[in-house]
Amino acid sequence: MKRSEKGGRSLAWRWRGLISGLVIGSALLAAQQIVKAANARPAESLPFAESAYVRADTPEAYAAAMMSGGPPPDGIPAIDEPRFVPAAQADLEGGDIVMGFAHNGEARAYPQRIMVWHEIVNDRVGGLNVAVTYCPLTATAQGFKRGDTTLGVSGRLLNSNMVMFDRETRSYFSQIPALGIQGDHIHRTLDEVNVIWTTWERWVAAYPETTVLSERTGHLRNYQRDPYGSYNPAGGYYTQAGTIFPLMHESGRHHEKTMVVGGRTSQASAYFVLEELAEAGVQATDSFLAVYDGVLDTGYIYVTGRDSPVVVPADEGKYRLEGALYSADELPLTPVVPVEGFYFAWHTFYPNSEFVSEGTTAPGVE
Amino acid sequence: MAGLSGEPTAPLGKLWAILGVRLYRRFVLGSAVIYLGLFMVALQDISLGGNGVRFLTTDLGRMFHRTGTMTFEPIAQLTLPGITFLLSPLNLLMGAFIALLVGLNLGVTLLAFRNPGACRFNRSSGVLASLPALLAGSACCAPAVVLILGLQLSAAMVTVFQLLIPVSVILLLTTLKLILDRTEMSPQYL
Repeated sequence: MKRSEKGGRSLAWRWRGLISGLVIGSALLAAQQIVKAANARPAESLPFAESAYVRADTPEAYAAAMMSGGPPPDGIPAIDEPRFVPAAQADLEGGDIVMGFAHNGEARAYPQRIMVWHEIVNDRVGGLNVAVTYCPLTATAQGFKRGDTTLGVSGRLLNSNMVMFDRETRSYFSQIPALGIQGDHIHRTLDEVNVIWTTWERWVAAYPETTVLSERTGHLRNYQRDPYGSYNPAGGYYTQAGTIFPLMHESGRHHEKTMVVGGRTSQASAYFVLEELAEAGVQATDSFLAVYDGVLDTGYIYVTGRDSPVVVPADEGKYRLEGALYSADELPLTPVVPVEGFYFAWHTFYPNSEFVSEGTTAPGVE
Repeated sequence: MAGLSGEPTAPLGKLWAILGVRLYRRFVLGSAVIYLGLFMVALQDISLGGNGVRFLTTDLGRMFHRTGTMTFEPIAQLTLPGITFLLSPLNLLMGAFIALLVGLNLGVTLLAFRNPGACRFNRSSGVLASLPALLAGSACCAPAVVLILGLQLSAAMVTVFQLLIPVSVILLLTTLKLILDRTEMSPQYL
């Protein structure tokens, strides 16, 4: 009896010890979580633009026209942990296409031959979280502020253009109009930054301290090969007439793959043929003024109105406005984020765009 | 002849008998290897272009990540001057399975051609069944095929491309069974 009483007490003490240990352990864990939560920075949701861009179709119509391009969501893997190498170590030829982004004194180059396999890089540049995105079918390179979430490639296409999704709410966004077309963020417009489509030699001349996206992407691909064609020299899909996927609006005004630079506001949109802009230096439509940047072979677009200010090309790639000289990206006017891409892609999203009629200085409207 | 002791009637027995003959065995394996090579090229697991000599690997778990309806991520990459090989184990496994079916279909079709008693269906069906299999490799990259053909893809066509691999497997299995059922396996035809 005594032995069994002793044994019973010992067992009871063991149980009490075990339960006390569990209670104290749980309390400590809970306290740790509370401290962690108190110190954690609240996650920044996807930032949006204050106003929507003008559009020819509703997000609902876009969602209905969206179709599978083949891969499942994330089947084309975005680069979520990008690595970079200094310019001197970049395996690039001068004429190779890169997508450049500079912010707060930090510059990045994203080679097209890597981007063609991933389409999105979730990066942080100059303290800003951005998603640098590229759709090979429309030749559009666009940057979006992403907060603390990341963007992925949905595998779906709208007007032959990439549809992205945010990994927080899994809402779908069409790249060119920067517009939510399905999910929680339908109707909302992404906040854009200017990603520039240019050549490596131009980018590195403008930003010698740039770093370059490394081939160590965390994924295995043949980065020496572009499945669609080539830009250096230009060939394949990138120069062929025609498109692969159906479009909501088509136009025969220019060759489908003519490179244009477009701009839009909540009221209007316009496009400028890049080659013609390069020749003219400055072009204007009813609502916009475009200025060519000879350093990066790109265009900048400003909102003007019918009384467009007189901007004239001056020496060393500068432009003269009211007696003062400015570089193409620094005119004291209201800028819009320009979008470079194939003509067919701009037209299918903005069929009512203003444009400059060939051989004239008068603006026209499609 | 060689390797045959009687006249098999079950499909698997017939296959075994065919593979027991060196001519057919070589033909089946040769066809399968050629098909597997084409499949890997179509999936871009074998592609032109590559600088220097490198061997890279990544997490084994990535082999299960889908890149298409029935295509998967690579876990190893061998780069040689001018050519790059990607090892996607599930692609390779699936490619080898389809390749074997293609090889067997063509092998049995060869037997049917050499067999004067074979009906017309037997003579052509194996080859016909292998046609979608030839396209199956393009299932991952419909745009690439469309680029070559100069077509515009509709939603329905994309779905068809996505279903090419399972459809090919079903067609290949069906025709193989049909031909085997209708083919006499008399030793004199082997």
